Amino acid sequence: MKTYGEKPASTRTRLRVGIADFAVTTDGALLTTSGLGSCLGICLHDDHAGVAGLIHVMLPTAPDDPPNVAKYADTGIDAVLYAMRDEGATVDNLTAKLAGGSAMFEFDSQDEPIGERNVAVTRAALDRLGIPIDAEDVGGDAGRSIRFHGETGELLIKSAGTERRL
Amino acid sequence: MRVDIQSLGTYNRLAQEGAEHAAASLTQMTGIETYVDVTNVTLMSKRDVEDVFGGTEFVGVQIGLGGGLSGETALAFDRESAASIVDVLVPGATAGDDDSFDEMARSGVKEIGNIMMGGFVDGWADYLATSVDMTPPTYVERAGTDVLPNGALERAEEEHVFVFESQMTAVDEQIDAYIYMLPEYGAFAEMLEASDDHEDAIPMDKLTVFDEMTRQGAERAAENVSSMTGIETDVDVSRLSFVPIEDVPNTARDEVYLGTVMEFKGTPGGYLAILFDEPSARTIVDATVPMELDEPLGDMGESAIQELGNIMTSGFIDGWANVLQTSIDHTPPELVHDLGTAILSPIAGRLGQSQEYAFLMDSTVVTPEGEFNCEIYAIPDEQKLKEALDSLLIERSDQLEANRESLF
Repeated sequence: MKTYGEKPASTRTRLRVGIADFAVTTDGALLTTSGLGSCLGICLHDDHAGVAGLIHVMLPTAPDDPPNVAKYADTGIDAVLYAMRDEGATVDNLTAKLAGGSAMFEFDSQDEPIGERNVAVTRAALDRLGIPIDAEDVGGDAGRSIRFHGETGELLIKSAGTERRL
Repeated sequence: MRVDIQSLGTYNRLAQEGAEHAAASLTQMTGIETYVDVTNVTLMSKRDVEDVFGGTEFVGVQIGLGGGLSGETALAFDRESAASIVDVLVPGATAGDDDSFDEMARSGVKEIGNIMMGGFVDGWADYLATSVDMTPPTYVERAGTDVLPNGALERAEEEHVFVFESQMTAVDEQIDAYIYMLPEYGAFAEMLEASDDHEDAIPMDKLTVFDEMTRQGAERAAENVSSMTGIETDVDVSRLSFVPIEDVPNTARDEVYLGTVMEFKGTPGGYLAILFDEPSARTIVDATVPMELDEPLGDMGESAIQELGNIMTSGFIDGWANVLQTSIDHTPPELVHDLGTAILSPIAGRLGQSQEYAFLMDSTVVTPEGEFNCEIYAIPDEQKLKEALDSLLIERSDQLEANRESLF
């Protein structure tokens, strides 16, 4: 899902990220995504360069030559990193926050739940890149909606009628 | 005729890209940020078309296509959205006060329609490596199915029609717009037609039978609600659409639902979600629980919804099992109370491991007085659906025509 405007993407105050989609801001826009069930929201922040990115991935690993790289954790992280690097971010300065990856149903709780695998693949990929995970709210059985503050890197999570700040 | 699923996917993507161009044009001209919510291609019978478009009032334009892609298109806004856009585009034009749009407002709508649809069609022309001719836009201000291009409904009566639909929404405002494209059936069928040995091909006639089965399943589920709640119900919309798997969660609205979800196994395998928005769930609980509850959607309320979900599920499944002459195993329906997109995301995720697109069968159960509405989503596993359709002999579909009453 894309949004359009007369102004370049980075000068808006709020960017809505769809499923299998990502957004990057250079001037503190609020990055939001809703309805994370087994999907995972990966928030990346370079405090030094003032660049933030949010990606909403659906599945852990991509097949060969995927039509949409943002759908998968492994290829999606690469895609958002390239986009952030283009805006001046450095991998060494990045920190990450994760939200989502729940197991909403019994049928998705056994036999390698997707949410759990999304989290595992993401952790491994970030670890390989040397990007520390500052905070996370993952697992459980409830959906989440999140707002990631592009300037401060603060993450607001709404889930089952409660709010958490990370 | 057999339909090539991959090519259906390609055209769905073209429609999505076209809609993104159209949304960009709208944003450029009005400064209102918009995005494309969902694009799907639906196979509709006349009754489906009437269900989907009935009862709503639209303002928009119709444009005919010729040349490399023949068919009809319509760009439709609800009245309030059109008024907001006219307000920005043609300040001073009358839009809304006495519910009538003056000449200036109409020409504003025509202008934006022409530009948006030009963007929509360009991508198709590029892909098909041909030129597509557009007729001048016709302003329409109509109710229900009349917003559709002339003749579309009549054509649907003869055979199913393919309908491409894109929904566009503004980021910060209440503005919704829809693009519909109805390609000329014969020509489009040729574009889709697969060779007989194509492994991804789905027989078209059987697909329409399956669409009908879904409607019947939904009707059976609706009857069960009526008998449990005493509230008269009807199936408002039932349609079979083809969407990218990542768009499946977005087909539910961005609000909290209460309902049940289960996985069905065997042929066809897949998932069934029966979801009530919270006000609807409250109405149901009030009608079925004999006492006044402090918290209508607390534990007692949830167990009432669980029971209703069980009954509706078995009605739905019975319909399918009867036609397929097979038993359908399923997991116990699980209660869920969460955001619609979150509820559908694990289903999309699990199916997304083996397929790029989903056949989504969605039905809406409503009541005449609008007491509640209930959304039913059946999303079969693509491979299992193919197997089920293969084993569904054409004779069975004839029998379905003859014995529909006895089957359901």
